[in-house]
Amino acid sequence: MKKTISVFSLLVLMTATAMTQAPPSGEDILKRVDANIGSDNKIATAEMIIHGRRGSRSIKSKSWIYGIEKSYTEYLAPAREAGTKMLKLEEQLWTYIPSTDRTIKISGHMLRQSVMGSDLSYEDMMEDPELLNLYNANIIEESTFLERPCWILELTAKVEDISYHSRKIWVDKERYVSLKEERFARSGKLLKVFEVKEVRSIQNRWVPVHMVFKDALKSGKGTEYFIESIEFNADIPEALFTKASLR
Amino acid sequence: MIIPRLALRNLLGAGLRTWLNVIVLSFSFVLIIWLQGLYKGMGDQARVAQTDAEFGGGQYWQENYDPFDPLALQDAHSSVPESLQTLIENKQAAAILISQATIYPEGRLHTILMKGIDPAQSVVTLPTQFLDQEGEELPALIGTRMARNTGLKVGDTVTVRWRDSQGTFDARDAKIVQIMKTSVPSVDLAQMWVPLDKMQSLTRMKNEASLVILAQGTEEFPQVSGWIHKDMKFLLKDIDYLVKTKSVGGSIIYTILLCLAMLAIFNTQVLSIFRRRKEMGTLMAMGMTRSKIIQLFTLEGAMHSVLAALVAAIYGIPLLAWSAKTGWAMPEAADDYGIAGIGEALIPVYGTGLVVGTVVLVLLVTTIVSFLPTRKIAKLKPTDALRGKMT
Amino acid sequence: MIKFIIKGILRDRSRSLIPILVVIFGVFLTVLFYCYMKGAVNGFIDTGAKFDSGHVKIMSRAYDENSDQIPNDLAYIGAEQLISELKQEFPGFVWTKRIRFGGLLDVPDEAGETRAQGPVAGMALDLFTEDSLEWELLGIEDSIVRGKAPESPGEILISDEFADSLEIALGETATLISATMYGSMAAANFTVVGTVHFGISALDRGAMVADVKDIQMALDMEDAAGEILGFFENFVYREEEAGLAALKFNAKYEGDDDEFVPVMKSLHQQGGMVEMLDMINMYMPVMVTVFVIIMSIVLWNAGLIGSLRRYGEIGVRLAMGESKGHLYRSMIAESLILGCIGTVLGTAFALVIAFWLQEKGFNISQLMQSATLLINDVIRAKITPFAFVIGFIPGLLANVLGSSIAGIGIYRRKTAQLMKELEV
Repeated sequence: MKKTISVFSLLVLMTATAMTQAPPSGEDILKRVDANIGSDNKIATAEMIIHGRRGSRSIKSKSWIYGIEKSYTEYLAPAREAGTKMLKLEEQLWTYIPSTDRTIKISGHMLRQSVMGSDLSYEDMMEDPELLNLYNANIIEESTFLERPCWILELTAKVEDISYHSRKIWVDKERYVSLKEERFARSGKLLKVFEVKEVRSIQNRWVPVHMVFKDALKSGKGTEYFIESIEFNADIPEALFTKASLR
Repeated sequence: MIIPRLALRNLLGAGLRTWLNVIVLSFSFVLIIWLQGLYKGMGDQARVAQTDAEFGGGQYWQENYDPFDPLALQDAHSSVPESLQTLIENKQAAAILISQATIYPEGRLHTILMKGIDPAQSVVTLPTQFLDQEGEELPALIGTRMARNTGLKVGDTVTVRWRDSQGTFDARDAKIVQIMKTSVPSVDLAQMWVPLDKMQSLTRMKNEASLVILAQGTEEFPQVSGWIHKDMKFLLKDIDYLVKTKSVGGSIIYTILLCLAMLAIFNTQVLSIFRRRKEMGTLMAMGMTRSKIIQLFTLEGAMHSVLAALVAAIYGIPLLAWSAKTGWAMPEAADDYGIAGIGEALIPVYGTGLVVGTVVLVLLVTTIVSFLPTRKIAKLKPTDALRGKMT
Repeated sequence: MIKFIIKGILRDRSRSLIPILVVIFGVFLTVLFYCYMKGAVNGFIDTGAKFDSGHVKIMSRAYDENSDQIPNDLAYIGAEQLISELKQEFPGFVWTKRIRFGGLLDVPDEAGETRAQGPVAGMALDLFTEDSLEWELLGIEDSIVRGKAPESPGEILISDEFADSLEIALGETATLISATMYGSMAAANFTVVGTVHFGISALDRGAMVADVKDIQMALDMEDAAGEILGFFENFVYREEEAGLAALKFNAKYEGDDDEFVPVMKSLHQQGGMVEMLDMINMYMPVMVTVFVIIMSIVLWNAGLIGSLRRYGEIGVRLAMGESKGHLYRSMIAESLILGCIGTVLGTAFALVIAFWLQEKGFNISQLMQSATLLINDVIRAKITPFAFVIGFIPGLLANVLGSSIAGIGIYRRKTAQLMKELEV
């Protein structure tokens, strides 16, 4: 659901159009990355594979994303989750569960729960996709990831109420796609890791189509995320983004 | 007045037999009081343990604090008001800051409560002095149940993750500096005690607390705005309820012991009425009415319990006092953890009500039991009685 | 001679009835006290056993290791199969499966929006199968404060205080919001049909009781159970047997590294209860010993008095030429017979009552009109082999000892004096 949404933003973000060369500042790079998320409408189907102690589970969903503020996700599989819908309207998140025929607002503590048992929380999915609004960025290193030359940016929070005090992101120097991200606690302890495994060119954009999220403190293999299809500049009726459409 | 004097003289005159009964009865006295005291002590133990380890002399809760709603904890902290701060500085109170946290022993996630407490506090009996340690790592104190559930041992390091007042994640390595044994699960299960000042700075909640525990014996509870005073009656509600329900079981022991004492008296009464027919006849011949004789014999029986109470007092008071002072030590108490001083000796508790109640009850029941066999006297003919016959 | 004595005992009521009654009553008290104390151990652990630990409890290994977290994601899958195996293998036990869960209980308004909401601690019990234990075990029906017990799927009980704070009326729908065993958000609608009182603040603040099948469905836990509790058939805990059962059960899975194989723990092996049990096990023998000693003094005294009262008769018998030794022996034989009869009868009476208390129990909470789901105080007794013999200590030994001491007087007194006491 919302997770999908954010993942989207992330991925779009990474989706950088291969722009210029340039010796930019950290801020410039981040701006580029943010810009690449794009504020256009998208429709995507995705599969999430959650590796747990009991084995792995696959969850499929389809999302309609309207700019960076609204999104609507419907779960397709497994059967039990099919029909569950999630609506994000700016800061608010709603979910509809067909068996109860109720629309429930996810707020407060519930936002900290894991999404479908994955290594991501609703909150992770809800955060502002434009990192520049939240962090100051500095280039601290250059390196190679996925055989791509990257800048490593260190992001330090510039706002107070933020989940992760600092992050490191690996940004593809040519494509402006973020390929890896580490999220840290205030103390500097690594909490979460996000890695792109595969990037593909779709409709002339670079799209990470296979990613892994992992809670760094917890043992386990984390959660994998696959983009099965994505359509940019899609035509989406605005009426979709209302609570009425959840039912 | 003649009857009581006569009764006493008869009783003392009977010598050995009277004293045997009195001694048995006095044993019952002492035992009833001791066992009841022990039983009450057992009931009080939970109360005392919980008071010592957790409740102190009452608490002030930050207005949003609710121990049963962990979700509310993120808003349940604020600066300690001045009046409480003064108490804390005078060691009359201790502030506790509580925050939800996650620990990862061996990569497994456990949701816990992180509780900050002043290592130098003396308001509750937790061995917080162990938290007084310098170093990079966060010193942490946990209970045996928590240790068992998480597999943590003294000296182990475990990652703790929490969110500070702004919602920002923070994580540190905590070092288990001590594992305490306590009979109070609510200071043990799924929680970790850390030094208050460290926790306040790590969570960016300077001088803040979720609750303040008052020292036992605190008598004044001023209004503090934004904080709610919770008295002992409220805090001990659950235990009181439990003890009330359980005390019914205690009265069964009480009853059985009472029956035991009465058995001895009844036996004696039956015998003395059987043996002293001639005496009764003589008394009747001398003009004493039957009811007077019944009074006499009943009084004799009842006086057993008066004598018994006296005898019981002679040896019982020092014995019970000694028992209350030393308690009943539990041998396995001398284990590695023996710090918190909880649940290691069972101290009997004798209330005035218990002692007075027992004496009155025994007196009453003895009188009844003494009276029952005397009804035979009512049917006694003086002539038969004089000849030693019982019809 | 024995025949003669028995005849005497039967014919002379004054010399037999009262002493025998005294012995019977004394022995009765002793045996009952012993059985009650033994049963009281159960009383102490009853609540914990019923609500949490069972007499034995089966969980998956992983669940056990994290049991304080109520980790339903680690629940045991295949509960039905396991229970039917358990029935075969441990016929002395009865089994029931439970799921504990947490979440939010959310009450909708007419438009389906949240009207009230609160955190809830839930317990899913097997309510509707034919051989459900839970009704009897927890006395659910007796603890209902308002409304009725669930009768069909989808019906739940919640704590009375919780119902007040949610302002939910009986018959209204509430949505449980929780997580499935795989971590997805789960929601399910229930009808609140009744309220209960627990007597424990944490639960009175927010608890619900639902049928296990409903919860399995709601939390995507098909054929899974967090815990399978086993109880001895008469609900009296026997520490050793429970320990042996656990050993036997766990032996089957030794060497299996799978973290989801089941593991059985006796009540004693589970946390929390052990300290209490140890304490009781320590105090109980002392209390029983003290009691037996006192009772022995009473009955010794009774024996003593019983003999003293017969100095007159003794005088006559001595006067008739009966030897002191013979007289003494016959008196001891007599008290031996009296003691035996009294002890046997007293023990028998006590055991009958103890047996009733053991099997049926005596529910005090009904008398107290404050029945709660959690603290259902049932007085139980427990019969152990020792209960059959403990009565002989005060009943026989003490009684005979008393007469033999009193009888020594026979040797000391002169016949003339005894005759004088006779004074017929």
